[in-house]
Amino acid sequence: MNLFRSEEHIVRWLDGRRPGQTLTAAQLCDLAHAWWGDRLDPDWRPHSREQNQAILDGLGLTSSFWTLP
Amino acid sequence: MAPADLLVRNTTYAQIVARGRVPDSGEVADVLRIAVAGVRDSWRRMHDAHALVLEPSGTEVLMANPFSAVPTPFRVQAAGRSWYANCAWDAFGICAALDSDGEIDTRCPDCGKSLSCQVRDRGPAGSVLLFHCLVPAAGWWDDIVFS
Repeated sequence: MNLFRSEEHIVRWLDGRRPGQTLTAAQLCDLAHAWWGDRLDPDWRPHSREQNQAILDGLGLTSSFWTLP
Repeated sequence: MAPADLLVRNTTYAQIVARGRVPDSGEVADVLRIAVAGVRDSWRRMHDAHALVLEPSGTEVLMANPFSAVPTPFRVQAAGRSWYANCAWDAFGICAALDSDGEIDTRCPDCGKSLSCQVRDRGPAGSVLLFHCLVPAAGWWDDIVFS
Protein backbone atom coordinates (compact mmCIF):
# COMPACT_ATOMS: atom_id res chain seq x y z
CA MET A 1 0.00 0.00 0.00
CA ASN A 2 2.18 2.79 -1.38
CA LEU A 3 2.08 6.35 -2.63
CA PHE A 4 3.23 7.07 -6.17
CA ARG A 5 4.09 10.15 -8.17
CA SER A 6 1.68 9.28 -10.98
CA GLU A 7 -0.18 6.51 -12.78
CA GLU A 8 2.86 6.08 -15.02
CA HIS A 9 4.97 5.22 -11.99
CA ILE A 10 2.37 2.69 -10.77
CA VAL A 11 2.34 0.89 -14.13
CA ARG A 12 6.13 0.76 -14.25
CA TRP A 13 6.33 -0.51 -10.65
CA LEU A 14 3.76 -3.22 -11.35
CA ASP A 15 6.02 -4.57 -14.12
CA GLY A 16 3.31 -6.75 -15.56
CA ARG A 17 1.72 -7.84 -12.29
CA ARG A 18 -2.05 -7.70 -12.02
CA PRO A 19 -2.92 -4.18 -10.84
CA GLY A 20 -4.88 -3.58 -7.68
CA GLN A 21 -6.88 -0.42 -7.10
CA THR A 22 -5.72 3.18 -7.24
CA LEU A 23 -7.14 6.02 -5.15
CA THR A 24 -6.38 9.72 -5.04
CA ALA A 25 -4.72 11.11 -1.94
CA ALA A 26 -8.03 12.76 -1.06
CA GLN A 27 -9.87 9.42 -1.26
CA LEU A 28 -7.17 7.76 0.83
CA CYS A 29 -7.39 10.49 3.46
CA ASP A 30 -11.16 10.06 3.69
CA LEU A 31 -10.69 6.30 4.02
CA ALA A 32 -8.03 6.71 6.70
CA HIS A 33 -10.23 9.00 8.77
CA ALA A 34 -13.19 6.65 8.56
CA TRP A 35 -11.07 3.55 9.28
CA TRP A 36 -8.64 4.86 11.91
CA GLY A 37 -10.39 7.92 13.33
CA ASP A 38 -11.53 6.17 16.49
CA ARG A 39 -8.30 4.26 17.13
CA LEU A 40 -7.22 6.36 20.12
CA ASP A 41 -10.65 6.80 21.68
CA PRO A 42 -10.83 5.44 25.25
CA ASP A 43 -14.15 3.85 24.34
CA TRP A 44 -12.73 2.15 21.25
CA ARG A 45 -14.08 -1.29 20.45
CA PRO A 46 -12.95 -3.57 17.63
CA HIS A 47 -14.74 -2.89 14.36
CA SER A 48 -16.85 -5.75 13.12
CA ARG A 49 -16.40 -6.98 9.59
CA GLU A 50 -19.75 -5.37 8.79
CA GLN A 51 -18.65 -2.01 10.18
CA ASN A 52 -15.48 -2.03 8.13
CA GLN A 53 -17.32 -3.09 4.98
CA ALA A 54 -19.79 -0.24 5.56
CA ILE A 55 -16.86 2.19 5.67
CA LEU A 56 -15.59 0.94 2.33
CA ASP A 57 -19.05 0.91 0.80
CA GLY A 58 -19.76 4.41 2.10
CA LEU A 59 -16.75 5.73 0.27
CA GLY A 60 -17.83 4.12 -2.98
CA LEU A 61 -15.34 1.27 -2.76
CA THR A 62 -17.92 -1.30 -3.77
CA SER A 63 -16.14 -3.50 -6.28
CA SER A 64 -15.23 -7.08 -5.41
CA PHE A 65 -11.66 -5.90 -4.82
CA TRP A 66 -12.85 -4.16 -1.65
CA THR A 67 -14.98 -7.02 -0.30
CA LEU A 68 -13.69 -8.15 3.09
CA PRO A 69 -13.58 -11.86 3.89
CA MET B 1 -12.57 -7.75 24.00
CA ALA B 2 -12.31 -8.41 27.74
CA PRO B 3 -11.98 -5.33 30.00
CA ALA B 4 -8.46 -6.33 31.08
CA ASP B 5 -7.34 -6.65 27.47
CA LEU B 6 -8.98 -3.34 26.62
CA LEU B 7 -7.01 -1.68 29.42
CA VAL B 8 -3.75 -3.10 28.09
CA ARG B 9 -4.72 -2.08 24.59
CA ASN B 10 -5.63 1.49 25.55
CA THR B 11 -2.48 1.84 27.65
CA THR B 12 -0.37 0.59 24.75
CA TYR B 13 -1.85 3.18 22.41
CA ALA B 14 -1.58 5.96 25.01
CA GLN B 15 2.11 5.13 25.40
CA ILE B 16 2.58 5.20 21.63
CA VAL B 17 1.24 8.75 21.58
CA ALA B 18 3.22 9.83 24.65
CA ARG B 19 6.55 8.28 23.63
CA GLY B 20 6.44 8.79 19.86
CA ARG B 21 7.08 5.06 19.42
CA VAL B 22 5.55 1.70 20.23
CA PRO B 23 6.42 0.66 23.81
CA ASP B 24 7.78 -2.75 24.71
CA SER B 25 5.93 -5.11 27.01
CA GLY B 26 7.99 -4.10 30.03
CA GLU B 27 7.12 -0.45 29.59
CA VAL B 28 3.40 -1.17 29.41
CA ALA B 29 3.65 -3.52 32.38
CA ASP B 30 5.36 -0.78 34.40
CA VAL B 31 2.61 1.73 33.63
CA LEU B 32 -0.10 -0.75 34.59
CA ARG B 33 1.87 -2.26 37.49
CA ILE B 34 1.22 -5.76 36.25
CA ALA B 35 3.48 -8.62 35.18
CA VAL B 36 5.09 -8.52 31.75
CA ALA B 37 3.48 -11.89 31.04
CA GLY B 38 0.07 -10.31 31.55
CA VAL B 39 0.78 -7.71 28.88
CA ARG B 40 2.12 -10.32 26.49
CA ASP B 41 -0.91 -12.58 27.04
CA SER B 42 -3.24 -9.68 26.25
CA TRP B 43 -1.24 -8.76 23.17
CA ARG B 44 -1.41 -12.37 21.99
CA ARG B 45 -5.20 -12.36 22.22
CA MET B 46 -5.30 -9.04 20.35
CA HIS B 47 -2.96 -10.44 17.69
CA ASP B 48 -5.28 -13.41 17.22
CA ALA B 49 -8.22 -10.98 16.90
CA HIS B 50 -6.30 -8.83 14.34
CA ALA B 51 -6.32 -5.88 16.76
CA LEU B 52 -2.51 -5.62 16.49
CA VAL B 53 0.37 -7.64 15.04
CA LEU B 54 3.15 -9.25 17.07
CA GLU B 55 6.73 -9.77 15.97
CA PRO B 56 7.58 -13.31 14.83
CA SER B 57 8.93 -13.99 18.33
CA GLY B 58 5.37 -13.49 19.57
CA THR B 59 6.29 -11.32 22.53
CA GLU B 60 6.57 -7.72 21.30
CA VAL B 61 4.41 -5.57 19.06
CA LEU B 62 5.36 -5.15 15.42
CA MET B 63 2.31 -3.21 14.27
CA ALA B 64 -0.15 -1.36 16.47
CA ASN B 65 -2.01 -0.15 13.44
CA PRO B 66 -1.71 2.47 12.14
CA PHE B 67 1.61 2.79 14.03
CA SER B 68 4.69 0.69 13.29
CA ALA B 69 7.15 -0.41 15.98
CA VAL B 70 9.97 -0.57 13.44
CA PRO B 71 11.29 1.95 10.92
CA THR B 72 9.42 1.91 7.60
CA PRO B 73 9.43 4.06 4.44
CA PHE B 74 6.47 6.00 5.90
CA ARG B 75 7.35 8.73 8.38
CA VAL B 76 4.61 10.90 9.85
CA GLN B 77 5.04 14.15 11.75
CA ALA B 78 1.98 15.29 13.63
CA ALA B 79 1.03 16.94 16.89
CA GLY B 80 4.66 17.78 17.65
CA ARG B 81 5.95 14.22 17.35
CA SER B 82 6.80 11.71 14.68
CA TRP B 83 6.02 8.05 14.15
CA TYR B 84 6.52 5.34 11.56
CA ALA B 85 3.43 4.03 9.78
CA ASN B 86 3.01 0.55 8.32
CA CYS B 87 1.91 1.77 4.88
CA ALA B 88 0.51 4.81 3.08
CA TRP B 89 -3.00 4.12 4.35
CA ASP B 90 -1.71 3.94 7.91
CA ALA B 91 0.36 7.11 7.42
CA PHE B 92 -2.83 9.05 6.81
CA GLY B 93 -4.36 6.97 9.59
CA ILE B 94 -1.93 8.37 12.15
CA CYS B 95 -3.11 11.91 11.37
CA ALA B 96 -6.68 10.62 11.53
CA ALA B 97 -6.21 8.85 14.86
CA LEU B 98 -4.57 11.94 16.33
CA ASP B 99 -7.15 14.17 14.61
CA SER B 100 -4.22 16.34 13.67
CA ASP B 101 -2.65 18.04 10.70
CA GLY B 102 0.63 16.46 9.73
CA GLU B 103 3.24 15.71 7.14
CA ILE B 104 3.82 12.34 5.52
CA ASP B 105 7.23 11.60 4.04
CA THR B 106 7.90 8.55 1.92
CA ARG B 107 9.47 7.52 -1.39
CA CYS B 108 7.94 6.51 -4.71
CA PRO B 109 8.51 2.73 -4.91
CA ASP B 110 9.08 3.08 -8.65
CA CYS B 111 11.65 5.85 -8.97
CA GLY B 112 12.78 6.20 -5.37
CA LYS B 113 12.27 9.95 -5.26
CA SER B 114 11.15 11.51 -1.99
CA LEU B 115 7.45 12.27 -1.71
CA SER B 116 5.81 14.49 0.84
CA CYS B 117 2.17 15.12 1.57
CA GLN B 118 0.76 17.70 3.94
CA VAL B 119 -2.45 16.86 5.77
CA ARG B 120 -4.52 19.92 6.59
CA ASP B 121 -8.05 20.00 7.96
CA ARG B 122 -8.46 16.25 7.44
CA GLY B 123 -7.42 16.40 3.79
CA PRO B 124 -4.29 16.25 1.65
CA ALA B 125 -3.25 19.81 0.90
CA GLY B 126 -3.16 19.99 -2.89
CA SER B 127 -1.54 16.58 -3.26
CA VAL B 128 -1.62 14.90 -6.66
CA LEU B 129 -0.06 11.70 -5.33
CA LEU B 130 -1.78 8.40 -5.98
CA PHE B 131 -2.30 5.46 -3.64
CA HIS B 132 -2.13 1.94 -5.00
CA CYS B 133 -3.45 -1.05 -3.10
CA LEU B 134 -2.11 -4.22 -4.72
CA VAL B 135 -3.77 -6.92 -2.61
CA PRO B 136 -7.57 -7.34 -2.65
CA ALA B 137 -9.31 -6.81 0.70
CA ALA B 138 -10.08 -10.50 1.02
CA GLY B 139 -6.37 -11.23 1.26
CA TRP B 140 -5.10 -8.44 3.49
CA TRP B 141 -4.77 -10.60 6.60
CA ASP B 142 -3.29 -13.57 4.72
CA ASP B 143 0.01 -11.66 5.01
CA ILE B 144 -0.64 -8.33 6.70
CA VAL B 145 3.02 -7.31 6.64
CA PHE B 146 3.14 -7.69 2.84
CA SER B 147 -0.30 -6.12 2.38
